[in-house]
Amino acid sequence: MATYVREDWKTRQLRPIDRFNPFIWLGSVSETRYWAWYLLVPSVVVIAMIVLYPTLYGITLSFREMRLTRPDLGTGFVGFEHYREMLNDDIFWLSLKNTLVWVTSAVGLELSLGLASALTLNRSLPGLKWIAVIVLLPWFLPNVVAGNMWALMLDSRLGVINDILVRIGVLDQYKAWFADPSTAMAAAVVIEAWHGFPFFTLLIMAALKGIPDELYQAAAVDGATTIDRFRFITVPMLKMVIVAAVVLRVISLVNSPDLLLILTGGGPGQATMVLSLYAFENAYRMFDFGYAGALSVIMLILLMIFCYCYVRASNVMANA
Amino acid sequence: MVGSKRGDRILNGITYAVAIFFALFCILPLAWLVFTSLKPETEIVTSLGVKYIPDTLTLKNYADIWRQSDFPNLLKNSFVTTMTTVVLCLITGTLASYAFSRYEFPGRRKMLLGYLVVRMFPAVMKIIPLFIIMRAIGLLDTSFGLALAYTSFLLPLFVWIMKGFFDALPDDLEDAARIEGCTRLGAMVRIVMPLVRNGLMATTIFVAIAAWNEFLFALMLTTSSGSRTWPVGLQLMIGEFQLPWGLLAAGGVISIIPVVILFALVQQTMVRGLTEGATKG
Repeated sequence: MATYVREDWKTRQLRPIDRFNPFIWLGSVSETRYWAWYLLVPSVVVIAMIVLYPTLYGITLSFREMRLTRPDLGTGFVGFEHYREMLNDDIFWLSLKNTLVWVTSAVGLELSLGLASALTLNRSLPGLKWIAVIVLLPWFLPNVVAGNMWALMLDSRLGVINDILVRIGVLDQYKAWFADPSTAMAAAVVIEAWHGFPFFTLLIMAALKGIPDELYQAAAVDGATTIDRFRFITVPMLKMVIVAAVVLRVISLVNSPDLLLILTGGGPGQATMVLSLYAFENAYRMFDFGYAGALSVIMLILLMIFCYCYVRASNVMANA
Repeated sequence: MVGSKRGDRILNGITYAVAIFFALFCILPLAWLVFTSLKPETEIVTSLGVKYIPDTLTLKNYADIWRQSDFPNLLKNSFVTTMTTVVLCLITGTLASYAFSRYEFPGRRKMLLGYLVVRMFPAVMKIIPLFIIMRAIGLLDTSFGLALAYTSFLLPLFVWIMKGFFDALPDDLEDAARIEGCTRLGAMVRIVMPLVRNGLMATTIFVAIAAWNEFLFALMLTTSSGSRTWPVGLQLMIGEFQLPWGLLAAGGVISIIPVVILFALVQQTMVRGLTEGATKG
């Protein structure tokens, strides 16, 4: 029986009907010179349809009037009207300033925490491997859960952090962190840092593993102290990955309003309004797509400057 | 390492102290969430402040959010959207990352850079046109439409991470297979794919977790319970129905269980893929 099956398989190879066997047909296609292109076609088509076309469309929208709530205004071209409007928009300038504060303080805090945790967890001592897994966990948690979990802990009636701070005497009474303009941004930054710092831990730990031990040993033989070795070996070797990580993080922080949308919605007043959130609110609540589009074009231009720095600083294509 | 025994011991002590601080910093908020979800509402909101030792622990919050809200339906929608995203990324992304890793062709570097740059477009800039386009072709408020939107930012990520896993395999593999008479396709499917299995699994899970967690696109592109995902549903329940904290905590715990399990399963491979992709790109 087995022989029969094998013989059948052999003769089947020769039958003309095999031209219709997709695997054999594709196999012969794979020998043509355009094979690499065929492999790329599906993803390029998808990217063109759902990224490139919408983005170009979004840029043209910023020069057009489009308010779903005001169909009477039409959808004609208005040139740079939205951009002119932006210059006189106090909320735009405030959210630009808030974006700077939000991004620099969150990235600064995340980098410090990431650096400290990576340097600690990189030492080869028993048990640290498991702690490294725990430390990465916040990064994989959804914004909605991370945000509301902290909102629960900071709540002005039942927040456990308020309770602890009152017990150890830092606060006199429970504080409504998100109702006070002077603390809302700081509280949001701490939550963002908790959520985002493992990204830095991850990248810095990977970079630390890449530093050869011989460097440290040679330096030790030459009489370098621990501090010397950190300053003259670790820091320079980490520089590139830190630059790359910071720019990547800046991009995602500038672009995504998720956490602030969940925690404060830009309030109290406009104290935590950032550009991405302002653009999203214009689109989601006001349905003013033209103005929201113009705001996101400005964000993209700001980010392009970062993108340029990113490619320059981290020499991203060197290993590709 | 050079240094006195005593100095070493102090340094190790500091290391463990800092490491335990970070572990607690990361795990305590989660522990508090789980703890809250197990307390009855009367012990969460009390007149005497926070209760650390509850009189009773109960699973009532879990039963309530499961039975009295739309939560099971939200989870089902999220599951469908996540699976669709995964399939889209897996099919198109695996082929593309293989081509980028194995073949040299004109424009390769520029295209790779392009796959990186599209990640930098602001979300709002894509959300508005996607909203208009999907409304026009009837994909608004469907799981498939939302999955397409997710693919727009997860596919480039998938390609970059997968390319790293393919790069890690030696070129000789294909050469040997081709000498044995395999076609290029045969070498890819029969030889390389089985070897890159773990990486493929980790990358897929990474994309699945990101799709499962996504909030902003889902908020804009879903409008009814027919396709609304759990992050949006949960957030709207908090805003509109003043969801009690216990139910919210229970919902949060239920929805992160799959994330934690999947992360635990593949964290080692995933971390390797992420760091290789990110340090190179």
